[in-house]
Amino acid sequence: MEDVKISYTESLISWKRPDLRVGVPVTVKYPLVPTEKPPEYRGKPHIDPNVCIGCGACVRACPADALTAEWDLENGLKSIVSNPARCIRCGRCEEACPTGAMKLTLEFELATPNKEDLVEVVEHHLTKCKKCGDYTEFTERQVEKAFQILPKEIVDANALGEKMQLCRECRMEESVKILAAQGRIIGDPLLLPPQHAKGGEK
Amino acid sequence: MVTKECLAEFEDKFKGEIREKKFLTPTQILYLVDKKDLPDMAYYLQYHPEFDESYYVMGIGSDERQLAGKFAYAPVINMLDGSGKRENFYVILKARLDKDNPEFPSVAQKLPAALWAEREVRDLLGFKPLDHPDLRRLITPEDWPEGVYPLRKDHAYNASPAGELQDGYKKAPEDTSTVPIGPYHMALDEPAHFRLFVKGEEIVDVDYRGFYSHRGIEKIGEGRLTYNQIFYIAERICGICGFQHSSAYAMAVENIAGVEIPARAQYIRTILLEIERIHSHLLWAGVACHLVGFDTGFMYAWRIREEPVMWLAERLTGNRKTYGMNIVGGVRRDFLDYRKTEILDKMKQLKKDVEKLYNIAVSSDILIKRAKDVGVLPYKVAKDYGVVGPTARASGRNIDVRRDHKVFAYKDVDFDVPVYKDGDVLARLLVRLDEVLQSISIIEQAVDQMPEGDIFTPIGKLPPYQEALGYTEAHRGEVIHYVLTGTNNKVYRWKVRAPTYNNLAAVPEMLKGYRVADAPLIIASIDPCYACTERVQIVDVKTGKVKALNEAEFNDLSIKASEEL
Repeated sequence: MEDVKISYTESLISWKRPDLRVGVPVTVKYPLVPTEKPPEYRGKPHIDPNVCIGCGACVRACPADALTAEWDLENGLKSIVSNPARCIRCGRCEEACPTGAMKLTLEFELATPNKEDLVEVVEHHLTKCKKCGDYTEFTERQVEKAFQILPKEIVDANALGEKMQLCRECRMEESVKILAAQGRIIGDPLLLPPQHAKGGEK
Repeated sequence: MVTKECLAEFEDKFKGEIREKKFLTPTQILYLVDKKDLPDMAYYLQYHPEFDESYYVMGIGSDERQLAGKFAYAPVINMLDGSGKRENFYVILKARLDKDNPEFPSVAQKLPAALWAEREVRDLLGFKPLDHPDLRRLITPEDWPEGVYPLRKDHAYNASPAGELQDGYKKAPEDTSTVPIGPYHMALDEPAHFRLFVKGEEIVDVDYRGFYSHRGIEKIGEGRLTYNQIFYIAERICGICGFQHSSAYAMAVENIAGVEIPARAQYIRTILLEIERIHSHLLWAGVACHLVGFDTGFMYAWRIREEPVMWLAERLTGNRKTYGMNIVGGVRRDFLDYRKTEILDKMKQLKKDVEKLYNIAVSSDILIKRAKDVGVLPYKVAKDYGVVGPTARASGRNIDVRRDHKVFAYKDVDFDVPVYKDGDVLARLLVRLDEVLQSISIIEQAVDQMPEGDIFTPIGKLPPYQEALGYTEAHRGEVIHYVLTGTNNKVYRWKVRAPTYNNLAAVPEMLKGYRVADAPLIIASIDPCYACTERVQIVDVKTGKVKALNEAEFNDLSIKASEEL
C-alpha cells in the first residue's frame, strides 16, 4: 500500500488518544500497555547534532539552567549540554533555536537510577583566528551559517569575510586600524587598548 | 468617572498626610502617604459606605533603601461597589519607613485582614508594626535567628543561617484539650499545622502555624531571573492555579510597559483560565464528596475532570498543567481553527456531565447533611478578614475580579457571579458547581467571538523603577501580583498574594463551635490542595499522652460521622 501524505494540521486532527481508540474512557492498564502522548505534547528536549550550530541561543533562553554552554578554549571545543533532569519543559529553547535543531520530543518516561544518563552533549569545533592562531568564540558551523544567511552586500560592506576569521582581540585591532585610516581616531591606534576585550559571552 | 468624587473626599479627609498621588493605570491609584494615619486611611477605605464590598487585599513590604533610602510598606485596598454603578479601582497607600527604625502604626489593630500581612513584613523585612495584636512568627521557621531578614536586599538569596529553636504556639484556653492537625495533612496544599482546642467534641479555639514549605520564590524572581523568565516560576507557585499566577504577573508587567495585548491573546488567556477553573472546581468537588464518605461522587467528578478537561488542556497547550503559554505581551502559541470545534464539542459533553454531577451531589442526603450549616462564615467576618473567591461568595459577598475589574476578555462575555448567603460548606460547594456551568458558558462565548489577528505584541526594554498591579480571579479567589521593575530587565520587587493567604486566616473563625470530625471538611471547604496526608495527633492536655491518628483513621472519623446520619 502506498503511503498517503497528510498535512501537519490533518495529522493533529486525526490523532486519537489510545484510551479512546479501544473505547475505554480514562482508565487503561498503562504501565502494562504502552501509551502515547498527543502530538502537541511537550516532552523531553532533544538536540539534533546534525543541525545544531552551537550558537547558544537556547542557553540564553533557558530559565531553569537545564541548558549550558561549556567552553574548552585550549582544545577549541564548545559544547552545548542539555540536562533534561533540570528541564521544566517550557519550550523556550525550541522557540529560540535558529536552525530547528532543538525539539521537544513526545518522550516522557524518563525514570532512571542515574540522572546523568539523560544528559545530551553536542560538541562543536571552534574556528581558528587567521592572524594569531588562537581559537575564536565562533563554532565552525556558526560561521558557515552566518555566510549562508547574510546577504552578500552586507558581508562585503562590513568586510565580514575577513573579520569573521579573526579572534576577538585581533578583530578589535583591525577595526581600530581601519577607523584610524579613515581619520576617525586620532593618535597611534596600536597604543589604544582594545575597548571591549572583556565583554560578551563568558 | 464617579470614583473621582470618592477620591476627592478621601484626599480632603487626609490632606495633611498625602504627599503624592500617582495613577499607575487608570484604575490603580498610588498615594504616597505619611505612616501616622495609615490605619485610619485603610479603615476608611475598607468600610467606605458607597464602595461596600471593598476589602484589604495585601500589604506590600519592600526594601527600597537603594531607591529612596527608606523602606516602604504599602497596604492595597480593592475598592468595590457592590451595586455595580461605579467603576472599581485599587488604592495603594505607600508609606516610607525609616531605614534604621522601620516602625509603623499597625493597620491590623483596626482590620483583621492585615494580621498576616504585617506579621509577614515583620518576619521578612524586620518592620515593626506598633500595637499589632498578635506578633508571633508567621513565615520564618521556629529556628530562624532573630534580626536576620531574608527579603532585605543585603541578604543573599541562598543564605540560610541557623538559630535557636523557639516556641511559637498560642496558649490553649483553660479546660481544653489540644487536637493538632498537621503539619502534614490531607486538607492542605502545603504542610500546615492547625491546633484545635477542644472541649469534648466541640472546637473552642484554633491556632494556625504554617509556611513550612516557604520556597523564597519572590527572592529568586528578584535576584536571578529576567522578566520573561519569571513566568515559569510564577506558574509553579501553585500546581492548580499556575496559569492564573502567570497571567496576573503578565498583566502587571504589561501595565508597567503600557501595552494593550492583542484581542486574540486576551481571548486565549480567558479560555485557558476558565479551563483551569473547571478542572480545579471539579477536583475540589470530588475531594469534598470523598471527605463526607460519598465516593461515587468523588470518582465521577474526577472522571469528568480528566476526560474532557485535562485532556483538552493537554491538546491546547502541550501539557495537562503548567501550560507555559504566557509571555509579556501576549501568548506563545495560537489556537488553530479546527480547535474551535473540538473545544465546543468537549464543552457540550462536559456540560451534560457536570449537570449530572450536580444532580447526584444535591440529591445525596449524606452530603447535604454533612455540609449544611457546618463551618458557617458570616458576611461580616468574611469582610473583616478580606476573604476572597468562592469562600467569600458563599458568604454573600458579591465580589469577582473578572467582572469587577474587567480583566482580559471577560468584558466581552456575559456571565453571572453566583452568590449564596448561607456561608456554610454546602454553599461553598454549590457556588463552585454553579461557577463550572458559568465557565463552560464563558468558554463557549469566547470561542465564538474570538477575533483574528496577532497573539503577541513585542515589548523591548522595561522602564526601570516603575510599579503596577496585576490580578485575576483564580479558582480560590483573587490572585494579585505587584511588580516594581529594576534595571537590566530584572525585577526589583515582586510580591505575590495568593487567595488562600486571605482565606486561611479566616479558617480558625469557621472552625469555632463545630466538631472535630467536621474539621477536615471545613478546612477543605476553602479549597487548599489535597496533597500530603500524614497524621493527626490528639494530645490529652492533662496527662500529656499523645495519640497519633494516621490518614486512614482520620478520614474514617470523618466518614463515620456521615454513617451516623
